Amino acid sequence: MTSATTTSVEITVRNFLDVAGKLPDEFGPDTPLFEGGAGLDSLETAELSALLEDEFGSDPYSEGELPQTVGEILGFYAG
Amino acid sequence: MYELLERVAAADPGREAVVTHDTVTTYGDLAADARRVATALHHEGVERFGVVEHDAATVVALLAGAALVGAEACLYPPDDAGTVTSLSTRFDHDVLVSTREDLTAGARLVAPTAWLAGEPEDLPEPAARPHLVLTTGTTGVPRGVRHDWSRLLRGTARVRPADGQRWLLAYGLHQFAGLQVLLHVFAAGATLVAPAPRRPKEGLRAMRELGVTHASATPTYWRFLLAQLRSDGGTVPRLRQVTLGGEAIPGPLLDDLATTFPDASVSQVYAASEFGSTGSMKDRRAGLSVDVLDRGEDAEVDMKIVDGELWIRSRTGMLGYYGEPPVEADGWRPTGDLVEVVGDRILFRGRTSEVINVGGVKVHPLPIEERVGGVPGVDMARVFGRPSALTGAIVALEVVLAPDADPATVKKAIREACSDLPAAAQPRSIKFVDDVSTAGGKILRRLP
Repeated sequence: MTSATTTSVEITVRNFLDVAGKLPDEFGPDTPLFEGGAGLDSLETAELSALLEDEFGSDPYSEGELPQTVGEILGFYAG
Repeated sequence: MYELLERVAAADPGREAVVTHDTVTTYGDLAADARRVATALHHEGVERFGVVEHDAATVVALLAGAALVGAEACLYPPDDAGTVTSLSTRFDHDVLVSTREDLTAGARLVAPTAWLAGEPEDLPEPAARPHLVLTTGTTGVPRGVRHDWSRLLRGTARVRPADGQRWLLAYGLHQFAGLQVLLHVFAAGATLVAPAPRRPKEGLRAMRELGVTHASATPTYWRFLLAQLRSDGGTVPRLRQVTLGGEAIPGPLLDDLATTFPDASVSQVYAASEFGSTGSMKDRRAGLSVDVLDRGEDAEVDMKIVDGELWIRSRTGMLGYYGEPPVEADGWRPTGDLVEVVGDRILFRGRTSEVINVGGVKVHPLPIEERVGGVPGVDMARVFGRPSALTGAIVALEVVLAPDADPATVKKAIREACSDLPAAAQPRSIKFVDDVSTAGGKILRRLP
């Protein structure tokens, strides 16, 4: 398991979006995950949730949160 | 069971019945031991008992002795003491036969030697010959399947004598499949090769060192054995018969086995504790032929499909579950196997209990598993539902890599192989593991 630094989480999300073919041209904390940004569907979000859990031991979705942007995912691990 | 032993013992008592790396037990030995067990049971008034014993020759003597006197034996899985205690409570066994010293059950513990001593006597014919089989726990809590030896033996009516065949025991004797192997081997007057423990690695060693010619095992067992064979680079055993059963059998595995064992005939058996065996398919095609459907009242075994589930009516099947009202012995029963008719074949899609519900879409694991199993670099794959806060469950994979396979390349190949599946069916979690979860030689797709 990797320790959840801002950098490592950001890299994990970025790579995920890339492999899923959903990486927008501009990627950063403000990038929306859904409408107007990466445009993830529910299955892709579930996949991201599993990936984050495997990588960092926990993920926001399993805790009942629904981050809307990359930054909100980062915020879960920073908090 | 006793009749089968006695038939051979009368004609050829010195013929090898059960063989391990250290021992040889003849048909004559076994028949005599069975008579001793029957006598002991009769004198002690034991009508039902559990057996927690690994040695095949001892187990066979106990089963045959029980059958001879009409006592109901029940073989327990090789579990820890706590599980054995709870099973003995659940199935009301006051007597347990075992050489294990760690058992603490409330039951009376008897060492097998106690019943193997003494002079055998002639005993009256019993009215019934019950036998209790515990089902494998891949579908939940074990249940006791009530059988009768005379019904079980019906399945051996057409077995031809085959002295000289040496069959590997790859199932636990407590499993119905293990019992089927015993019945077949003894009905044929052949020899049972029973290495301990009953794992693929020891099976392969027994094949090489104890002259195994025939083997029946689950597809999972065969895949592990093939992987072991490839990785140790040792001699390939010259098998004459490869039989698979107990789980759905992937098409590519049949080809793999046929190529690895070119002199062997490859058969598939579809059977279960509840309905006995339905015979074997020798055509090396996945699934069952549609010919098995709607055979009519006169057939020993008949099948039909209701709402995608296979149902069976069999005259070799169970009498009911322990602790439940008896079932109509020759009635129709659901198998729990979901199937799809494709052309002239009935293909297995998964167990009703294994269906993965992904956001409301029901996904069957087997077609995915077959597809992933065919990806180069994948030795074994297990498809299962992984809980997800977002969709209820997602399709998850555990994969055992072939030696020298590159994980990143294989992962990419898996994704590509699954890319044309409906979105809900695509694996969303892929992990590489050293081995996959199994129970009783079968892949565990749903944790009990």
